[in-house]
Amino acid sequence: MRDAFRIRFQAMGGDGEFMIAAVDETQARRLAQAAIDEVRRIEHKYSRYREDSIVSRLNAAAGGPAVECDEETLQLLDYADTLYGASGGRFDITSGVLRRAWDFRVPRVPSSDELAPLLALVGWPEVERRGARVRLPRAGMQIDFGGFGKEYAADRAGALLSGRGLRHGYVNLAGDLRVVGPRPDGSAWAIGIQHPRQPGALVASLPMYAGGLATSGDYERGFDLDGRRWCHILDARSGMPVSAWQSVSVRAPLAVAAGTLSTIAMLLEDEALPFLESSGHDYLAIDRHGTLHQRAFPGPPAGGEATRRPPAATPHPTPT
Amino acid sequence: MAATEAARLPGSALLAAALALPGVQPASADSAPDQRSVSFRYLDYLDRQPGRDRVRIKAPTVHALAPLGSDWSVSGSLVSDAISGASPAYHSSALTRLRDKRQAGELSLTRYLADGTVSVGAGYSTEADYVSRGLTVQGSLSSDDRNTTWHAGLAVNRDAINPVTGAVSGERKRVADLLFGVTRVLSSNDVLRLDASASRARGYLSDPYKLFDERPRERRSTRLLLRWNHHLPSLDGTLRLHWRAFRDDWGVRAHTLGLEWVQPWRWGLSLTPQLRLHTQSAARFYVDAQPGPSVPLPPPDALHSSFDHRLSAFGARTWGLKLAKTLGPEWTVDVKLEHYEQRAAWRIGGRGSPGLEPFQARSWQVGLTRVF
Amino acid sequence: MGGPARRRLALCGGVAAVAALAGCGLPPVQPWEKGVLARPAMSFDADRLENALAEHIYASKEAASGGAGVGASGCGCN
Repeated sequence: MRDAFRIRFQAMGGDGEFMIAAVDETQARRLAQAAIDEVRRIEHKYSRYREDSIVSRLNAAAGGPAVECDEETLQLLDYADTLYGASGGRFDITSGVLRRAWDFRVPRVPSSDELAPLLALVGWPEVERRGARVRLPRAGMQIDFGGFGKEYAADRAGALLSGRGLRHGYVNLAGDLRVVGPRPDGSAWAIGIQHPRQPGALVASLPMYAGGLATSGDYERGFDLDGRRWCHILDARSGMPVSAWQSVSVRAPLAVAAGTLSTIAMLLEDEALPFLESSGHDYLAIDRHGTLHQRAFPGPPAGGEATRRPPAATPHPTPT
Repeated sequence: MAATEAARLPGSALLAAALALPGVQPASADSAPDQRSVSFRYLDYLDRQPGRDRVRIKAPTVHALAPLGSDWSVSGSLVSDAISGASPAYHSSALTRLRDKRQAGELSLTRYLADGTVSVGAGYSTEADYVSRGLTVQGSLSSDDRNTTWHAGLAVNRDAINPVTGAVSGERKRVADLLFGVTRVLSSNDVLRLDASASRARGYLSDPYKLFDERPRERRSTRLLLRWNHHLPSLDGTLRLHWRAFRDDWGVRAHTLGLEWVQPWRWGLSLTPQLRLHTQSAARFYVDAQPGPSVPLPPPDALHSSFDHRLSAFGARTWGLKLAKTLGPEWTVDVKLEHYEQRAAWRIGGRGSPGLEPFQARSWQVGLTRVF
Repeated sequence: MGGPARRRLALCGGVAAVAALAGCGLPPVQPWEKGVLARPAMSFDADRLENALAEHIYASKEAASGGAGVGASGCGCN
């Protein structure tokens, strides 16, 4: 029996993969199909591009009547509210409209005249909610869950696999990881962290036994101009990209927690380290000069099935 | 836009908020199942005393469970016992032939709420001489961290008894059960459950097929059941232990201890050896067997009496072994063998009732489950 | 001590034991540490059919019965 199956698919605008181990092939394909179905469900439900999605309906009704939302959507909105507070207003799910000013394929910084009307449409505190009815008060306002949708889908797929009995494997949605359990022999999966300045190279290899691992970086989308990196992570208050960090990786029990912690750390710029320290989770942050700041990596998280003695740690991180 | 402000919430609040999102953790007992399951089980049971086979039971049973939407589930079971053989009319003697079929069905509906569950159920059982109807209501409530769960349950049964011998007719029996319990997750490898229950039965409680069997028309009993599941990571096995203390107002005091070890193996197999020990005192009105061949009589001024060895003082031991295997992603099959023996000499903490033959039973079961 | 008084004491003792178990303080087990607890071997009602059959057989051979749950048992095993 093959030890592990790697099943690849396309989802949420990127590459997705399931690593399913210690089951036979039929079972692996069954599990993968159930997990893919769940990822697609979330993708379609919260897609900006599908007219019938809840997000499109909310955006189309901006400035108009309130829209009735279901329990899952309301809980995601609650989480977005927590993120707004935790980031001091820098993470705002209504900031997607700023996309119209920034075209990261062209190395051009928009002027304040271009940003001003768009910034007027950004304002999470203004989103109205009465019970299950949600309303965007001004025409042109938009919300989207692109900031943590992929991580949420990774957690849901991972929980589904775990609930169906999978004990060894992980879900990887374009770099947002939710590990269900270690390798069949109990050792950790070695997950490579991309080098922010050398495509194809790794800056570290992190051992993962269970839980979520996510990375936010300035290298995914953006351009270089005048010796400075302008990335796609925008501070919602100013509409301008952040620049203090090249990448931040966080390990937390949930992918959605890891992903939002890393994104908010990027947004907090020079206040990122106290924030990451206060979260209590392990992180690896690379500042604008390429210096590594980290806490506790490598090693297994405390408690539960993941606590098996890891194999003797290698003295230097090696690429997988 | 607001001026630069320090983050208002610490990073530690994020994980707590993320945990509140739906479906990001594997389903706990408080959430509706996301798959259906159907199980079939067949039991073949034979009991005997030295030199004589007694009761033979063949019982196919089926159980099904299905979610209804995301907040409800429904489950039901059916059993058809075919009973044949012989049973003593008093103590271990005068074996009388019997043959009967029992059909029973049960249906229950469960609603899953944010922090708990509520279930209602109904049951119906019928055999030649006995019809039983019952209703149950149960609920559970979990703490925020899901490490503590409270349980409560209430059941009422109404039975109608019309023995084929005509010894009595049109008799009734009503039973009410109340249960109160708690489950505690003690560590990532330990979970404990304690249940306290009380029961009151009223009506015809005697066995019409036994000689001079005149039991009180009321029986109140209480039980305390402790169950502990402990996983041992080094062997990847699980120890399952249970201990039940029982007392009633007929004078019966009983303790039961059960141990089993679930050991997963390779190729989807798992092996579970089990041991059960039981000891009980006799009911106050149980009449001891006297030496000699003559049919005994109840004491002349006794209001109640019984010669049923099931109400005598004895100890019992069960050895069992179960082998289970997963066949593909949906199917599990298992086979279980048990040997049970009841002996007066095995009573713990007192003298066993004299003059009774040891009683043995062997059973095997085969089960098949599909989850889909 | 009389019958009813002893019975009441037994029941109160049982309820007190249940409450004590619920209240005892322990470091809480976090959701991501509960992987093992999800296994059927670690649950108390994984195989309802098997449990029901066992309970039915023992109740018809011994004087003690029940404890694990309340049920519409419906059996002519007086």
